[in-house]
Amino acid sequence: MTNALEITQLNYRKNTKTILTDVNLQIAPGKIVGLLGENGAGKTTLMRLIAGVAKNAKGTIAVHGETREAPRRAFVSFSEALQGFRPADKLSQIRDFYALAYPDFSAKKYLDLITFLQIDDDQKLSTLSKGTREKFIIALTLSREAAVYLLDEPFNGIDSMSRKRIISSIIQWKQDSATMVISDHYVSEIAALLDEVVIIKDHTVCAHKSSDQIRSEFGLGIEAFYESIYEGDIHDDEL
Amino acid sequence: MQFDDKVPIYYQIKNYLYHRMVAGELGLGDKLPAVRQLAVDLTVNVNTVQRALREMIAEGYIAPQRGRGNFVTQDAAKIATLKQQLTTTYIQDLYGQLHALKLTDAEIIAEIKAYIQHRGDADD
Repeated sequence: MTNALEITQLNYRKNTKTILTDVNLQIAPGKIVGLLGENGAGKTTLMRLIAGVAKNAKGTIAVHGETREAPRRAFVSFSEALQGFRPADKLSQIRDFYALAYPDFSAKKYLDLITFLQIDDDQKLSTLSKGTREKFIIALTLSREAAVYLLDEPFNGIDSMSRKRIISSIIQWKQDSATMVISDHYVSEIAALLDEVVIIKDHTVCAHKSSDQIRSEFGLGIEAFYESIYEGDIHDDEL
Repeated sequence: MQFDDKVPIYYQIKNYLYHRMVAGELGLGDKLPAVRQLAVDLTVNVNTVQRALREMIAEGYIAPQRGRGNFVTQDAAKIATLKQQLTTTYIQDLYGQLHALKLTDAEIIAEIKAYIQHRGDADD
């Protein structure tokens, strides 16, 4: 079976700064994967490279076997931060833009999602609270029928009710065959959701394990495993 | 439902369903909620629910019917055995802990009786 995502020897520098070094990663279709790492570890950059928003990396990125940038972008739904839209834009105008830009955008799914997430899309972008803004980004991202979803820190700084709704909407609306990568630096709330965990440290993937493997082999929770790696309690030769 | 993050989630889902079956909340022949619904209710991954159900089907506690969903077994003896197994597990645990406190068997039985008695009073 073709991997949903296959990254080989990816290296990325910005100006003279090393952001990612020798990243290799394979993810099977249908998985929900947690991408964990400290702020500045390179999680967002990795997502931007997969989505084709950031360019000029060395190495290859294949999404369902497709390495060329333009067709690859069509497979990937990335939770962009709504940059490029004006504060006075109504949410429904942003929806119209998405429907035009992405042939896989489902108006039905969008409607189900904004209803479930309790978003009124007659509002202007500038009036949204942090939580509503994040919920709206999730609604747009999940409304596409993509093969790979990349959610960049969807729970950052939002209230727990919104968080719960977002988690429920992920469970309800992710197609079985679709792969989802969720980045975060705080994991306990989504731990029960993750099939696999990828930890980014020192500019590269330092661990990629199934959640069950972490629980049964190391006897640790996901959060504890992640902390042990960052604090150096688990050494490379044990991984 | 709260999960213990140190224990595989599929294992905890199985336990949750075993308990509901023994308690009769999921009766013989009852239809289980759809996989996605169970995942939403428990806030877990659909894949994880599928793994738990797959194992319980292999164990014979759940009978899938093509196109209709998953059903609790009709086999009352099987659930009775499960109830006995769960009971034994809990008693073993309790007995082990009290035994480690150097209570004699007679004291353990007396303590349990006294506890039940006291609980009964409190409920009245």
